[in-house]
Amino acid sequence: MTVTRNLLPPHASADDPRITLDEEVGGIFENVPPYPPRTEREAEFYTLGDGEMFINMGPQHPSTHGVLRVVLKLDGEKVVDLDPVLGYLHRGVEKLCENADYHQVISQVDPLEYVSSLFCEWSPVMAFEQLLDVEVPRRAEYIRVLSAELNRIASHALFAGWMALDLGGLTPILWSFIERDEIVEMLASLTGQRMLFNYFRIGGVNGDLNHDFMSRLGDWMSRAVKQIDNDTGLLNENEIFVRRMRGLGVLDRDTALRMCATGPNLRATGVPFDVRRAHPYSIYPEIDFDIPTRTEGDCLARYLLRMDEVKQSLRIIDQCLHQMPDGPIMAKLPRLLRPRPGRAYASIEGPRGQYATYAISDGTDQPFRMRIHDPSFIHLQMVGLLTPGNLVADTMAIMASLDPIMGGVDK
Amino acid sequence: MTVVARTWQRLTIPGRVLLALLVVGALLTVPLVLLIVFSDELLAIVGANLPIVRFVVAATAILLMTIPTAFVIIYIEMKGIALMNLRIGPDRVGPFGSLLSVVHGLKVLMKEDFTPTGADPTVFTWAPVVVYLASVMSLLVIPFAPGLFGQDMNIALLYFFAVGGLTVVGLLMAGWSSFNKYSLLGGLRSAAQVISYEIPLTLSVVGLLILAGTMSLNQLVLNQSGWFTNWYVFQQPLGALIFFIAATAEANRTPFDLTEADSEIVAGFATEYSGMRFGFFFFAEYVNVFIISALTVTLFFGGWNSPFPMPDIRLALDPGSLGIGLLLVIALVPLIGTLLFAAPFWLLRSSMPSWQALVLGFIVFNIVAVTLVLGWAFISFDWVAGLIWFMVKTYGFVFLFVWMRGTLPRVRIDQLMGFAWKWMLPASLLNLFVTAAAVIVVGALRGGR
Repeated sequence: MTVTRNLLPPHASADDPRITLDEEVGGIFENVPPYPPRTEREAEFYTLGDGEMFINMGPQHPSTHGVLRVVLKLDGEKVVDLDPVLGYLHRGVEKLCENADYHQVISQVDPLEYVSSLFCEWSPVMAFEQLLDVEVPRRAEYIRVLSAELNRIASHALFAGWMALDLGGLTPILWSFIERDEIVEMLASLTGQRMLFNYFRIGGVNGDLNHDFMSRLGDWMSRAVKQIDNDTGLLNENEIFVRRMRGLGVLDRDTALRMCATGPNLRATGVPFDVRRAHPYSIYPEIDFDIPTRTEGDCLARYLLRMDEVKQSLRIIDQCLHQMPDGPIMAKLPRLLRPRPGRAYASIEGPRGQYATYAISDGTDQPFRMRIHDPSFIHLQMVGLLTPGNLVADTMAIMASLDPIMGGVDK
Repeated sequence: MTVVARTWQRLTIPGRVLLALLVVGALLTVPLVLLIVFSDELLAIVGANLPIVRFVVAATAILLMTIPTAFVIIYIEMKGIALMNLRIGPDRVGPFGSLLSVVHGLKVLMKEDFTPTGADPTVFTWAPVVVYLASVMSLLVIPFAPGLFGQDMNIALLYFFAVGGLTVVGLLMAGWSSFNKYSLLGGLRSAAQVISYEIPLTLSVVGLLILAGTMSLNQLVLNQSGWFTNWYVFQQPLGALIFFIAATAEANRTPFDLTEADSEIVAGFATEYSGMRFGFFFFAEYVNVFIISALTVTLFFGGWNSPFPMPDIRLALDPGSLGIGLLLVIALVPLIGTLLFAAPFWLLRSSMPSWQALVLGFIVFNIVAVTLVLGWAFISFDWVAGLIWFMVKTYGFVFLFVWMRGTLPRVRIDQLMGFAWKWMLPASLLNLFVTAAAVIVVGALRGGR
């Protein structure tokens, strides 16, 4: 390897700090990673085969959905292996929750999955209610379901747009953002925020339905189906899109179950598991809706399944509006919450899968331990299973179809 | 030197500008004087080498034309895609934001021009030039209107493909010299893509050449005159389709824009480029869009021909015959016209201040006058009519490209190559064979040979 010297700029001297390593090996390339391998897997991954190269995607890459970094090992355009590097958005939310009192936890967990904040609030709130033995008023439960299903639609709208953008389509993201913006605006009039709602409270919700919210919702519901069909038509009937997604990143039923996949990613493999039906909570038992499943398990199935879910969410919202009871929206609770010592577990069905919270109380006004289970983290692990053997362009499609949100992955 | 420097330091900014202008003027005076002194000899030289002079003028004009063309197409794309996305799009600079692309061009000029460590500076610098020149050189043979073309070659089409193939060299240079793996992937993708699609692109026009019997673009356009049914698209529909798709891939446009797929390989070959070097790539892309639209129009959609035979009307207006009266017309017509068109505003809307009525009248007068003059030119001059028809058709195709970009996602590299070799190539060969057979059969039936 004598060519390396020629790659250097003419002014580079031997003690240039950029040249840190043996010229025989890498010249002005740094070793990847810059430390010796720590595990066997790392040693295997960071050994290049014949004609292979590393390419570093992220954390500032345009389509890694946040600050995910993926080291790809490429053979030409084909991905041989990949190594997701996490932690660029780690904020220590669980630890922060243990140092906040029970009310403050809600605002700490809000930005976990920032595109569907209400679901992040819901599972801790449910766990704390179990610790405190609170009965949530029925109107509050209905409002929770109503707002959360709206948030699910907003999240899936964002998913469809992002996915199309990762495949090079410019228009779908802006069309789906129209839906998302209408929903987010109406949630803003309900909760006061567009993104991090901070709306659920232990024992109820923060505010009752108001006129602004109801008029926006009624206006939107009257044209939602037509509008969503119009938006998805641009992708569903697109030959290029369908051909790229069909048969790509096939996740089979057994692998999905073994990897603990939940939510749409699991249901796209044919397992009709939905926390809303499997472990019913809130008022979901009283509401009539289907659990859409698909058997293909590929990217197209995951996309279409989410679009089916949007239709079911519309059904749920419709029923909530018809069955909405009168009554209080908050249970009677003391200012200072000191639950009895014990532990509680609550899980809900979010737009990405099962969110769960496991909380331990030691009798003080702060949780002793809080563990948050996030589906994005689980689903991100499957990128490593599904991607090798595909092309670079497919990495984006697979990652987008699994729909991980880095805020939830890194916590 | 210090004396000059000190004097320069003491000058104010207007003074500096004035001084610089004076110096430039002084320097320009010498060639001007020489020009006047040797004007007869110069004219004789020009007369003797008229083709060369014509070529130089045409090349300069085309080079200068590319920049506004790119600006216009960039604006069309920004605004068009914005409207398709249900956005507003550019609306701040100029009327309806139409100057935004110009401002972008200026911004690109002023940005830092950065060469990464480890890049090969020579190749890195020349890559955008090669790409841009390849585009500009292709424009040279396109007939814009009767008598309005850079160079009339008898092998114009061959020249076009040869020069167009140079683009890939520039993209490969950019990809290789950037010292970046994303750039390298982009460069290699472009090499694979452009070379693969060049084959169906070239084969798709061979059927047309058999029909036309010429490679000169001017002759091809003349062959399509008369009613629009004479356009080659009606004799070669498959050829036109293949040509359009392959040309889209050649110009690296959506859905074949894999070389700069922003969601996959950041910006492809242009990842490390900044400033005006990036600007050259950017302009070259849009000039390419114009070129392939123009060539599609020239080959298959009648070029500068009107879709129907134009009525042969000539308005015999000779402004020179008015003599001194011309000055009177120039002075009086705007005045009278403004008053004339201001009158209805003034009379019908009594609440309107008279100055507003006058301004409105002036605007309306200008619109009417420009329309009239253009209409007169359209009827009276073949080349004006031809240019207008040509531009209308070409920008129609430009809009088609914008539309495709707004609608379609990107194909994958294996789908792209498979499409070229498994579908486009057999289809273009089929087109070629069917055309050849039809020409022979028809010839045998007609001529009995």
